[in-house]
Amino acid sequence: MSLKRQLGLDILEEKYAYASDPVMGHTSEQKIPDTWVSTTCGYCSVGCGMFIGVKDGRAVSVRGNPDHAVNSGLLCPKGLSEHYTLEASNRALYPLLRNKRGKLARIEWDEALSVMVEKFRGAQEKYGKDALGVLSTGQLVTEEFYALGKLVQLGLGTKNYDGNTTLCMASAVSGYKRSFGSDGPPGAYEDLSQADVIFLIGANIADNHPILCQYLDANPRRTLIVADPRVTKTAMMADLYLPLKPRSDIALLNGMIHLLIENGLIDRKYVAAHTTGFDQLEESVRKYTPDHVSQLTGLTPEQIYKAALIYGKAKAPFIGWTMGVNHSTKGTETVNVINNLALITGNVGRPGASPFSITGQCNAMGTREAGFASSLPGYRKFESASDREELAALWGIAAERLPASRGWAYPDIIEGAVAKKIRALWVIATNPIVSFPNLGVLQHSLDSLDFLVVQDGFHPTPTTEVADLVLPAAIWGEKEGTYTNSERRVSKVNRAVKPPGEARTDLDIFLGLAKKLGCYGELFPGWTQPKDAFEEWKRISAGRLCDYSGLTYELIERHGGIQWPYPTGATEVKTTRLYSDGRFSTEDGKARLLPVEWEPFPEQPNADFPFVLNTGRTIEHWHTRTKTGNVPILERLSPNAWLEMNPRDAQSLGLKPHDHIDVISARGRVKSVELRVTEIIAPGQVFMPFHYAEANANQVTQSAFDPISREPNYKQCAVRIERAQIAPQYWGVRGSPRARVQA
Amino acid sequence: MLLPLLERAKEKNAHFLVTPKTGASSGGVPQCGISFAPDAAGIPQRALLPGEQYRFHFDMTKCIGCKCCVVACNEQNGNPADINWRRVGEIEGGWYPNTYRSYLSMGCNHCMEPTCLEGCPVDAYSKDPVTGIVLHSAEACIGCQYCTWNCSYGVPQYNPERGVVGKCDMCHDRLDEGRAPACVSACPETAIRIEIVNIAEWKREYAAHANAPGLPSADDSISSTRITLPNNLPPDTRKADFFRVRPEDPHWPLVAMTVLTQLSVGAFVTIWLLQLFGKTTRLGVAAMVSIIVAGLALSASTLHLGRPIYAYRALKMWKRSWLSREVLLFGCFSGVALLYAALLWFKLPGSLAIGALTSLLGAAGVTASACIYLVPARPAWNSKHTVAGFFLTAMLLGPLLAASLGIGDRRWLSIAIVAATAGHLLNEAGKFFWLTASDSFELQASARLLSTTLASSFLGSGALLCLGGIILPLFVPTWAGASASLLTVLAGEVLGRYVFFVSVVPKNMAASYLSAGKAAA
Repeated sequence: MSLKRQLGLDILEEKYAYASDPVMGHTSEQKIPDTWVSTTCGYCSVGCGMFIGVKDGRAVSVRGNPDHAVNSGLLCPKGLSEHYTLEASNRALYPLLRNKRGKLARIEWDEALSVMVEKFRGAQEKYGKDALGVLSTGQLVTEEFYALGKLVQLGLGTKNYDGNTTLCMASAVSGYKRSFGSDGPPGAYEDLSQADVIFLIGANIADNHPILCQYLDANPRRTLIVADPRVTKTAMMADLYLPLKPRSDIALLNGMIHLLIENGLIDRKYVAAHTTGFDQLEESVRKYTPDHVSQLTGLTPEQIYKAALIYGKAKAPFIGWTMGVNHSTKGTETVNVINNLALITGNVGRPGASPFSITGQCNAMGTREAGFASSLPGYRKFESASDREELAALWGIAAERLPASRGWAYPDIIEGAVAKKIRALWVIATNPIVSFPNLGVLQHSLDSLDFLVVQDGFHPTPTTEVADLVLPAAIWGEKEGTYTNSERRVSKVNRAVKPPGEARTDLDIFLGLAKKLGCYGELFPGWTQPKDAFEEWKRISAGRLCDYSGLTYELIERHGGIQWPYPTGATEVKTTRLYSDGRFSTEDGKARLLPVEWEPFPEQPNADFPFVLNTGRTIEHWHTRTKTGNVPILERLSPNAWLEMNPRDAQSLGLKPHDHIDVISARGRVKSVELRVTEIIAPGQVFMPFHYAEANANQVTQSAFDPISREPNYKQCAVRIERAQIAPQYWGVRGSPRARVQA
Repeated sequence: MLLPLLERAKEKNAHFLVTPKTGASSGGVPQCGISFAPDAAGIPQRALLPGEQYRFHFDMTKCIGCKCCVVACNEQNGNPADINWRRVGEIEGGWYPNTYRSYLSMGCNHCMEPTCLEGCPVDAYSKDPVTGIVLHSAEACIGCQYCTWNCSYGVPQYNPERGVVGKCDMCHDRLDEGRAPACVSACPETAIRIEIVNIAEWKREYAAHANAPGLPSADDSISSTRITLPNNLPPDTRKADFFRVRPEDPHWPLVAMTVLTQLSVGAFVTIWLLQLFGKTTRLGVAAMVSIIVAGLALSASTLHLGRPIYAYRALKMWKRSWLSREVLLFGCFSGVALLYAALLWFKLPGSLAIGALTSLLGAAGVTASACIYLVPARPAWNSKHTVAGFFLTAMLLGPLLAASLGIGDRRWLSIAIVAATAGHLLNEAGKFFWLTASDSFELQASARLLSTTLASSFLGSGALLCLGGIILPLFVPTWAGASASLLTVLAGEVLGRYVFFVSVVPKNMAASYLSAGKAAA
């Protein structure tokens, strides 16, 4: 500190000066940019339009785009501070290779890509093509996903390729495919303003998709029903709150279907014309009487009647769900029951009425459409010979080069590494050490690999720290392309600043790798920029459900995002819904009504582990906190993990608010978590956020996966709570990520 | 020059607060069915009339606790992350599943009787005559942080990087441009708005609309913020951070300053009394030592300021601020005491009268000093125990200094010392029982701190006083004993004053259950 400052002659007037800007108005002078770059938020799938303010080549501020169709100028606290992620102290700057002494050391890009190709090819030559695994993300632009899919499946030639979207949305994808014949959420956000009933199941939008709340506010007619075991912020907004037991949603929904059929509140004409399987469904729900459902859910029969009647009598009921449904061994089937409820009442693809999965990441949708992991690009099916032939013809390759079945899903790739079937792994923009369930297995898996490449915008992260090769990537704000949000709206993402250090865009990395592999000319002829990928993707998507063919970057920018389908020749930009005509993507055009049975969740509480642990999010943080953990204001607002416990349980354990406790399951122990004693949570249940590497919830979660979607059952594992064995740590003091991973 | 808004609007010949300005956007039409909130939404669309002012309206039924307002405020004002001019707290009540958790978003309440303004020694605060916005001038501020003690809501926050305080000004200059404040624009739930309030009406009605669970009473300063509360809040609704009580800042320069001024005043009064009773030997030496102590105390006090070079400005508001009065009285005290010491040293006439004046000014200074701490926003300080404690410190340390310098009759001095110590200990014990018996959250919480986190310091200071103020004077009646006694008691006083500063639990709005670092003071 200078003497002038110490004496008080200097009060940093320049730093704290204000000025007036024609766009921002009167504001802190240091936040006033030279130029504004329009883009789309890079956190969640709501897809808010925003501007990045750039001054002297640095992003100094952000601002919601007041004319954007999604957010009308509003942003959540993460979005409002997103420019800080660009200059975070934990950005990855240079390619790093683990040297003989076991340390990551800086190398040149050319060497990095050569080593990568050599190691991948080496493993594949020795152990077979599929000995290479690739784990992608929902964070890249669609253009990059499209390029990556081709590179992995055709260039590297492995089909063991999946994204972290399997940890998030896979059950919605599988559920949609089973019910409707294709992935693709039928509704739009506008439905939230137009519905007369909004039914949210396992979705805490107030914390996780706060900008969607304004659609509810703009809808004075709506009756909001929220089903959630925890009294979330969203539950508190509800007109009818259903505090059901964990994982009893299938019982509740079957009970509602039972009552609707019994009371003639279904659309028989719609059922006859557009669905198959009604008789089996009717038979299957017969035993879900209100009394039986009451026993399974812990709700009163009155609450079940009320929910059924409100939904059944609604003119335009909307059903939204997120991780409470998906993070389950019955996730796909729960989505099917939701779809059953919507189908028997004819509430699919009508204004206000749709079963709508609210997605997670900014571009999880993009990877589902174009990614070539869970399906062939354009929602084409691996299993369909005609789909393969069509795609091969478009690409001008032999159809035999396209796999006829999907490769391993994320958890199977992890377990494949344990079994030494996967020998090399490429992880792109994700942080499995914090995000994958049952950390012990994951660590064993990563330890078993011959070579691990982690490509990320951030380093160190717990996962880059154990990598053999780290590739520094550009992030949101540093590259161009498109994101697709939950409601199928394709929005433009633009580059505002240069990536730091030697970081490159993911597309550049993919193209560079393709050149090394010698497949650049075939797969990416002449590609240099995202637009090259976009133009090809448009042709590939033409005629498909996710038809991009009429879109151009200019058109998207002009309209602040456009919903697909937008085929060639489309002229009107309007809200689109899927299946409005009752024709589904199945072979016979009819949706499937699929009987589903309630089952108890896999790991029931017992004498050793008496609590049911639920995990979730807080508004201030994003996923594993690699992005938000170095944004000072977000860390200030949510500095550490906590565990919610009902006061009755706390009393019986002799625990007090703010005590530090350990969370123990059969698999591991999360150490020294701050206890929050609260009536938010039911007796017998506990809740903790999953963002914090320092208190990693996945040290205790289980290796149980949905058999259809392969999505992990993050919720509902049995735990015991003990007073912390180690002295409480003060979380405000930020340790190095290296220290975090050892926790 | 800062002109009132209305004046500036007239000068610019502009219509006051009517023109919504749109941003950098390309002018496309929102495609979804909801209406876009323009920049001027949420602010009044007419000019203020005489007798009116602006205020915040906070709708708790709408707030989802997203904290967009907090982030937007920090961005607007370029503040570091740990300074939040707008904060969001939580309150919680009820029983599962009928649980109720609600959020409280608050900037400055732009009070009708702002306590920050009343206490400010340098007149850094002003209440804008047209808008009623309570403004703070960083330029005028000397960083004494007295306003941070005076505000019941913890609104003014000291920025150590700058050495001055800062606070929410309702984005005064944005309002002037016809734009909404940052928090208002950022709220996705339109829970924060600016309204016009009739001042006289509000003073009659505020009690019903300005109070909320988890918020200190609006009585302290007549908060202008109107709060819409949900119906049927559970009766047990309370702040989420109810059980998280942390020690406050010790303010070490003030620990030194208060203890040393009290030592100096006590010493001069003792010297003067000894002189009065005919004692003459070595009084000059004692007075010289005491004047050095006073000098140290005053130097220490400037270390507490963010801008010590401007310490002299603190004299400015002597008509209103106890802090100004303290500075003024101790300033006069030191001057007169210096004269007194010189008269004694050079054995010049008139010393008895000047000594009387010194004693009087000293006592007045200690009174002013104590009055600084009698603020409603810091309930554990706001009692007669504070005044008694400060005087007892002076009454104990003065004779101790005299005894250790070997002036005066040791027996009488010992009686005075033991009596003052006993009084001091009784006062502390009385304060502790008063705290425990109280039903106010802040007083209870102070008692909780004293009996848990601070127990060893609290009891330690008592033990040191016992040792130095009772045992040593009674059982070791030597010069060495007296010196040891002084040092022991001084240590006990410093520790006790530290406990005084850290054990106060200020009134404040509810915070989050978890909050990093120190809660905003």
